[in-house]
Amino acid sequence: MGASGTASSGATPIVSVNSLSVAYRSGGRDVPVVREVSLEVAPGRTVALVGESGSGKSTVAATLLGHLRHGSRITGGSVHIKGSDVFALSPRELRRLRGGTVAMVAQNAGHALTPSMRIGRQIAEAGGDIPVVDLLDQVRLPRPAELARRYPHELSGGQQQRVAIAMAIAARPDVLVLDEPTTGLDVVTQRGVLDLIAGLRDELGLAAVLVSHDLGVVAHLADDVTVLRSGRVVESSSTRTLFATPQDPYTRKLLASVPRLDDAGLALVGEAGEREVRPKAQVPVEATVAVSAREVTVDYGSTRAVHGVSFDVRRGEVLALVGESGSGKSTLAWTLAGLRTPSGGTLTHESGDLARPAERRPLSLRRRVQLVFQNADTSLNPRRSVGDAVRRPLRFFGSATSQADAAVRARELISDVRLDPALADRLPAQLSGGQRQRIGIARALAGEPDVLIADEITTALDVSVQAEVLRLLDDLRRERRLACLFISHDLAVVRGIADRVAVLRHGVVVEEGPTEAVFASPGHPYTRQLMAAALEPDPDAEPLAEDTAEWVDTAEPDDLWTDHGDGHRVRRWSTSVTEGNA
Amino acid sequence: MLSFLARRIAAALGTLLLASVLVFLAVQALPGDVATQVLGKDATPDAVAALRGQLGLDRPAWERYTDWVGGALHGDFGTSLVTGKAVGGEVSAYLGNSALIAGITILFAVTGSIVLGVLAGLYRDRWPDHLISTVSLVGMSVPEFVVATVLVLCFSIALPWFPAVVLYGPDASVGQLLPAVWLPALALAVVMAAYIVRMARTSVIDVMASEYVTTARLKGLSTWRVVTRHALPGALLPTLHVIALNVAWLAGGVAVVENVFNYPGIGKLMLSSVQNRDLPVIQAIALVSSVVYVACNLAADLATMALNPKLRTRGRTR
Repeated sequence: MGASGTASSGATPIVSVNSLSVAYRSGGRDVPVVREVSLEVAPGRTVALVGESGSGKSTVAATLLGHLRHGSRITGGSVHIKGSDVFALSPRELRRLRGGTVAMVAQNAGHALTPSMRIGRQIAEAGGDIPVVDLLDQVRLPRPAELARRYPHELSGGQQQRVAIAMAIAARPDVLVLDEPTTGLDVVTQRGVLDLIAGLRDELGLAAVLVSHDLGVVAHLADDVTVLRSGRVVESSSTRTLFATPQDPYTRKLLASVPRLDDAGLALVGEAGEREVRPKAQVPVEATVAVSAREVTVDYGSTRAVHGVSFDVRRGEVLALVGESGSGKSTLAWTLAGLRTPSGGTLTHESGDLARPAERRPLSLRRRVQLVFQNADTSLNPRRSVGDAVRRPLRFFGSATSQADAAVRARELISDVRLDPALADRLPAQLSGGQRQRIGIARALAGEPDVLIADEITTALDVSVQAEVLRLLDDLRRERRLACLFISHDLAVVRGIADRVAVLRHGVVVEEGPTEAVFASPGHPYTRQLMAAALEPDPDAEPLAEDTAEWVDTAEPDDLWTDHGDGHRVRRWSTSVTEGNA
Repeated sequence: MLSFLARRIAAALGTLLLASVLVFLAVQALPGDVATQVLGKDATPDAVAALRGQLGLDRPAWERYTDWVGGALHGDFGTSLVTGKAVGGEVSAYLGNSALIAGITILFAVTGSIVLGVLAGLYRDRWPDHLISTVSLVGMSVPEFVVATVLVLCFSIALPWFPAVVLYGPDASVGQLLPAVWLPALALAVVMAAYIVRMARTSVIDVMASEYVTTARLKGLSTWRVVTRHALPGALLPTLHVIALNVAWLAGGVAVVENVFNYPGIGKLMLSSVQNRDLPVIQAIALVSSVVYVACNLAADLATMALNPKLRTRGRTR
């Protein structure tokens, strides 16, 4: 396939996987999850395993540590680390391999750290002679001595991931297995963790196996890439070759599905990976304002999550709220949906006051503002058919007069979100992630809303599915003239779908304006920092913006904004140097 | 954390107060009053009035309630209507005997069931799990008096190792009672352990499948260390409240089993007091049982706090 094979140097591979097949037993028969996968990693190289959910990439990665999930078994092939067969090791040798020779950084550090044990103890028991404090220092955590005495829940997501890395390198392994090491982290934190991993890998001369569905991360970190689909290797070549000239149609489609920071609209991807960017719908000038927020503040107890945020969303328009975790963007979405009450400011809809909880909004207003949740799998009742999930709001909001009518309308809605109405009788668990998210959208549409709040609705989806769901959302807002508040931390997604963008930082809007203007000339250092941290699926990509190192907020209550025209405005700031001179 | 502790203890005291009111009211709600209950329906009105005066029943209810609670706080529960002795002393003698059974039961049932539950969870879907799960299901389904009877049949009659009934009164010494304690304790432990085993098994399976246990395994730790340090604290959390409920259940479960073995414990006292309409004794036993319930739940909550650092380190409420 690829011209430059795997390990380009002549070094003997430290990891070699030969025609590995894994199956798990379900309902009395073997279901293959990995089929004849081969892979080699030379010392000092990083190989990425790329694929969508169900591709078997995590299963392959775990076999490097001799680990199989409950009920799975090897049906063929072998895994050799430093020449010895992993699955032929005695329990004692296997324990020496784990942590000693091969170490794993698990996907979600928040779940991978034992909640009842202090950080320091957990790192110490991973073995090695390096003091815990030095390890914490090495992963650039502040005040390591104090941190070592904390419990996992007292750290932020990024800090937890750094702890997981410290734990993995404690015994100075030769091979590092990274299973989606930054999934769930926001862009800025992700960038920090990736830079740390790359630095440690080079410093310690580690071979690394990176499992990821995020092609941006792969392009940034890997030397070689192996693409997996349904447990089979589709394509395997050096990173540069793969991203420049992908051979297999599946790889091409995968690459084409990734939204780019320079797309002017949503990309439509063909089966063979051809890409066509659909221009955005023009929002008519006379479109009425559907939702209007003025100086909204939201508090959690004594902590203020949102400080005086103002915005308008017109019918047929998509306004994106972007920012890191903790920036207050989800809080705003939930407040708009009526799950929280603002502590100040006004929040109004064309037809009424939104500054009160959903249960105290009149029915006619409640049905017009609807929320789609981030996780469709946890927001749908697992014991009710998905048709039921759509039917209930139809009956509740009175848009269907009889049971029979509701059933018909529910099927219509399900086909409106481009699903087969026959799926109505299935349970959520019998649908794929993308199908479930469509049902989540259909349920929100049942109230015939004119405002739709989409809270990170594509974060948990694979790229190709994400592209389809975004396309659906874009179609729906055109057809139904929906005012859409789109919450996301993924700038490339925002670039494709949003008409306007508001950048939130610590509950304050620091920049807002038309998407094109903000992406063309980001005015605020925080916006630039977000853009600089975003990863493109291209190993040679230049960052979209330069990071401004030092800056201070200089906004005064009566002088908040620098206006760049056409509604693009930036919160006042200055570099700290000029501040010092002033 | 301190405020949580204070609130939890205040809630426990509040519950006890409420329980004492309910116990008192329940006795008040009985048809007639204590005097007519004691003297029977053939008593002359004069005799009833005399006894009412003697028992202080002519005073208002709240006054009698405060007297009763005030006395109870000092261990004075009044005098028994049947024996004429102090209720406090009588109840505590029987209670001590029951505590002997309960203590042994708890010791064996809790440690045994946690060990079995963890084993079943670790050997999920293999023969140790199937064996333990089946046996515990049987233990759950069979009532304790049946278990007790079967035990007597096996270990007192077929194999005469233990006495079938106790021939001593409430004042028997520990040495006299000790041989007779094992069978009732075993009967109770079987029933009690069944619930805990099943709960412990489920939560061990959940925790062993969690990412943090997988991570601990992949660090190359020994199974022993993974189980004791990483899995158990998390697996015990949901089990604690089941243990607490079962320990509290002993207060009632003991009554039935004690009667099977004629063991001079609190359950036996309760039954005979009900038959003799000895209301002060019944009142005292009801109050003591509610203390046991509240104390068990409080202990479970405090243990949860000890095992869950999220509760311990909670600086501010969100």
